[in-house]
Amino acid sequence: MSVITRRDFLKISGVTAAGLTLSQLGFDLTPAQVYAAELRTELRIKDAKETPTICCYCSVSCGILVSADKKGNVINAEGDPDHPISEGALCAKGASSYQIAVNPHRLQKVRYRAPNSDKWKEVSWDWALDKIAASIKKSRDKSFVEKNKDGKVVNRTDGIASVGSAAMDNEECWLYQTFLRSLGLVYIEHQARI
Amino acid sequence: MADKSFFIDTTKCTACRGCQVACKQWNMNPATKTVQRGNHQNPEDLSYVTYKLVRFSEFETNGKPVWYFFADQCRHCTYPPCKMTAESLGSKAITTDEATGAVLFNPKIKVKADDFKAIRQSCPWDIPRWDEKTQGMAKCTMCIDRIKEGLLPACVKTCPTGAMNFGDRDKMLDMAKKRLKEVKAKYPKAELLNADFVRTIFLVIDEPKKYHKFAGVDISGPSIIATVKNLIQPASSPAG
Amino acid sequence: MTNHYIDFRNADVILNMGSNVAENHPVSFKWIEAAREKGAIFIHVDPRFTRTSTKADIYVRLRSGTDIAFLGGMIKYILDNNLYDEFYVKNYTNASFIVNPKFGFDDGLFSGYDPTKRSYDKSSWALEKDENGIPKRDMTLQDERCVFQLLKKHYSRYTPEKVTAITGTPQEDLEKVYKVYGSTGKPDKAGTELYAMGWTQHTVGTQNIRTMAMIQLLLGNMGIAGGGVNALRGESNVQGSTDQALLFHIIPAYLPTPRAKLATLADYNKTTPATKDPRSANWWQNRPKYIVSLLKSMYGDKATKDNDFGYSWLPKLDDTQNCSWLVLFDEMYKGSFTGFFAWGMNPACSGANAGKTRQALTKLDWMVNVNVFDSETGSFWKGPGMDPKKIKTEVFQLPCAAFLEKEGSVSNSGRWMQWRWKCANPPGDARPDGDIIYDLFKKVRALYAKEKGAFPDPILNLKWDYETKGHFDIHKIAKELNGYDLTTGKLVANFTKLKDDGTTSCGNWLYSGSYTEDGNMAARRKKVDPTGLGLYPEWSWCWPVNRRIIYNRASVDLEGNPRNPKRALLKWDAEAKKWAGDVPDGGWPPMGTDGFYPFIMKPDGVGSIFGPGLADGPFPEHYEPLECPIEKNPMSSQRINPVIKIFEGGPDVFLTCDPRYPFVCSTYRVTEHWQTGVLTRWLPWLIEAEPQIFCEISNELAKMRGIENGDWVLVETPRGKVEAVAMVTHRLKPFVITGQTIHQIGLPYHYGWLYPKDGGDTANLLTPTIGDPNTMIPESKAFMANVTKIKAKKA
Repeated sequence: MSVITRRDFLKISGVTAAGLTLSQLGFDLTPAQVYAAELRTELRIKDAKETPTICCYCSVSCGILVSADKKGNVINAEGDPDHPISEGALCAKGASSYQIAVNPHRLQKVRYRAPNSDKWKEVSWDWALDKIAASIKKSRDKSFVEKNKDGKVVNRTDGIASVGSAAMDNEECWLYQTFLRSLGLVYIEHQARI
Repeated sequence: MADKSFFIDTTKCTACRGCQVACKQWNMNPATKTVQRGNHQNPEDLSYVTYKLVRFSEFETNGKPVWYFFADQCRHCTYPPCKMTAESLGSKAITTDEATGAVLFNPKIKVKADDFKAIRQSCPWDIPRWDEKTQGMAKCTMCIDRIKEGLLPACVKTCPTGAMNFGDRDKMLDMAKKRLKEVKAKYPKAELLNADFVRTIFLVIDEPKKYHKFAGVDISGPSIIATVKNLIQPASSPAG
Repeated sequence: MTNHYIDFRNADVILNMGSNVAENHPVSFKWIEAAREKGAIFIHVDPRFTRTSTKADIYVRLRSGTDIAFLGGMIKYILDNNLYDEFYVKNYTNASFIVNPKFGFDDGLFSGYDPTKRSYDKSSWALEKDENGIPKRDMTLQDERCVFQLLKKHYSRYTPEKVTAITGTPQEDLEKVYKVYGSTGKPDKAGTELYAMGWTQHTVGTQNIRTMAMIQLLLGNMGIAGGGVNALRGESNVQGSTDQALLFHIIPAYLPTPRAKLATLADYNKTTPATKDPRSANWWQNRPKYIVSLLKSMYGDKATKDNDFGYSWLPKLDDTQNCSWLVLFDEMYKGSFTGFFAWGMNPACSGANAGKTRQALTKLDWMVNVNVFDSETGSFWKGPGMDPKKIKTEVFQLPCAAFLEKEGSVSNSGRWMQWRWKCANPPGDARPDGDIIYDLFKKVRALYAKEKGAFPDPILNLKWDYETKGHFDIHKIAKELNGYDLTTGKLVANFTKLKDDGTTSCGNWLYSGSYTEDGNMAARRKKVDPTGLGLYPEWSWCWPVNRRIIYNRASVDLEGNPRNPKRALLKWDAEAKKWAGDVPDGGWPPMGTDGFYPFIMKPDGVGSIFGPGLADGPFPEHYEPLECPIEKNPMSSQRINPVIKIFEGGPDVFLTCDPRYPFVCSTYRVTEHWQTGVLTRWLPWLIEAEPQIFCEISNELAKMRGIENGDWVLVETPRGKVEAVAMVTHRLKPFVITGQTIHQIGLPYHYGWLYPKDGGDTANLLTPTIGDPNTMIPESKAFMANVTKIKAKKA
């Protein structure tokens, strides 16, 4: 049995550096076999639909191209080469965007935890939103302050607070603050403060 | 398609590990279970599912910290010893793509444990990896599927700083030599690692061993021809 | 950011201090490398040697919490060596302005301090005005009461010896940085500064940044290509969410939140910034147009002149009320709230003193938690030390779409508003946040319509018509942000078209111009770069009015010629009577003809070297962190910032110079995770790369404590304990501070008990409830801790 060791190869390499070719030394350099058919050579995103987006992590705002198959499943996410800031680059976080879309840990159901319960219960959107709306109303009506201690009109809800979110789009952020302020909240904070 | 090469400029690497993850992403390679070992390098080593690994090496020189990053991967040798070894063992698991020079492992061809051991030992850079379950071997594919379509390898495309480069071999060699000249002015120990024999050319500014045990290979030495002639004779057993 | 990411490449010197750019904004390093390729010098100043430091031409260490001392020394160096840009300082800053004769500074306190209130009466800090109400100036800068002379006097105390004693930075290192950065004071040189939470998370956070802003003004580095003071913000839309005012103290586009004393719209408008100087544009004088247009966006036809456009429907803060994060959770801890939204946030790990936050959540009746993955907040009731049976809080956990599963815009640090397209459907029942908010409000409104209740007017009158064919339509909000001419129903071209009479609407005046009759500007993808400076004016859109570098009129001389012709950002074409280049900060002619001063958002029109508006003084002064390792501040008798709000009692314990907690500790991030890890801990490829919490410790400290690399250690403060893997490293070194050896440690706050199970918990269990007096951002970068080896546990 003839095998080449790591140590031996160094010496062969030295030979080529010295101007000799391996064939001169008696090696058969003919390609041993055709490129194996089983090996993947087809571009796996060839027929995919590519959509541009912006990375969800830091504020550099790298461009990402997301590829989805015909069923709409994400199959690849990589840098957008046209993006003038990132020019196709992504760090470890951005490069892992695929695993945000395809991840068994994603929350997929609305869940409710009842007072003093030790478990989640899956509920419907309608049930949850109805109950949240009723909770908002109850808290608001109970804690609404029309006039403060100095007798000045303040029209605010002191019993509800909110934090969030820099992870939302501009339009969602605006909608959210409008929603909160119409309820009378003043305890409105988010990531920018920490 | 012309002979291709990578040029990896370690002076520009910030160890963002975009390449490490982009490689996994493109190849749909799963993550492995890791633990924090007092070092940022994770996974600990290359594996059947980790073709690209940023190695972290930290020490002190003259009271100042030095921290090197080495984005390790297959060198796609001009004369791949892994392939020669496999062939000598009668295995067709390793091929070279003639157009690009990519050295390719076919993970679907089973390789025996002992044969794999010999193949791995024949690689001066300790790249080949094997999976006990499938008995297949795997490593960097040069993203052959991408480059045939004119795309950059996933690791190169994702690199923000210009540490990872890829293209026609002559252009990469030119780029590497030009950069070496610039870097030498400040770091006299700078060198290109085994540039003549590999298609993954690393530029380092210090002794290769300070980056990683198998970063570069010393190819100097006397009686080269005699040694090689000995080598061609069937060896009695794989050397360690 | 005053500038933008690509603009880093236009700098001659890049100072990265107060952030770790290569690790936390990795792709932006592309533009630092681009600058370096052209010969720029990259400086990193940080307590830790990080991945960023490995690429620095100059790396210098300082003790965490001593940036003002470091930069104060730089101001002194610039002044002593005449490195400042004299033209710029005289014409574009308030250096020549005369300060009230009663202004003073003595032993760490500015004039007007009231120790009982722990606050200043700032009247003595005022700038003097002449009989016409115009600021008095001495253009020779010689008057002893002018800002320039007071600046010189204040920073004459920041000698290299003093600075080294405080920071632990060797004097030769200080001088190296001062000299290189000071070299950018010439008109053909540009220096930029990149900071992040390394500057904000201190009890002197605002003043850290101000010190740098003053340096940039002295060196003429504001408003120019390759210059600026650039905040590297930590989230993809934290710029946008701030612009949209998800903060207690502002309503959209930085209008102040109404206070109780401002009962009517007229009262509110009386507080509009004013100037009598005819040369000052004072852009904020337009504020009445913006508030009325905002009210029209909120309340539509229900907002009329007769009802003050619905101004009374907006909630009002008490006159001095502060509802910021730390106060919010303090109130929650005291039981002040029954309901709480944690929307796209994980406060159980992200806020300072997370143990207090977790307890606070038990005091609620209900909480709504919206996120992509489960979190320590949503599941707090089953966390460590919690007994679910005793916790009454109802929790609604709503699954939302991830960023690539919806469309909408995000604004990066450079103020680029970029559109995202929808790439895939969200999984299962998950829905975009916008859809959830939209439907939830409809339900609330239906309840109020049916059952009435407390003051239903703002709820019943809110305009809520953002749907198309029965579905929430995000484009309708995007258009609302831009604003309409209500007389024609057309989208306005930009904010100069807005009016205060109710005939225009605009949800956010800074975003006016982003979605016009010409289409969605944020969605533009045309790559042209006419100036060659990387402004890309037709790629996406940038607020305000697509201006890529703000204060850009400071880049030209009095005639409108670029002061640096190699990097000409703006140039006045006298014949055509218009500007070429970036969108100018106002289209008026140059200052030397009949134009305005360049800093148009300031009532005085110039950059503030003297800043009388801040809570803690018009000049930044070094104070120690609340928890610090030295008994006496070498600069004065004021050990800590004299105006910070101290939270007392319960879980708020602070110990300074206590032998039980002898080490300076910082929290931070790594490249592979994001914030509390609420997204990244669930991604296998990222948790593979950074699987568990670690604590960085110097070799010297490790030896002292018998800790080996890879050992498990316990990190403790009076507030909490965290277990971590020791990372013993050459990259941290003890400091010598006023003769004592001080060790610094640090750990990331990315982990949480929920997942992965062996990842560790958040470093915020350690951090104190204490904030900067101006912003209330917590001091997570400098507090005192202990570290010991855990004998039984091995990694």
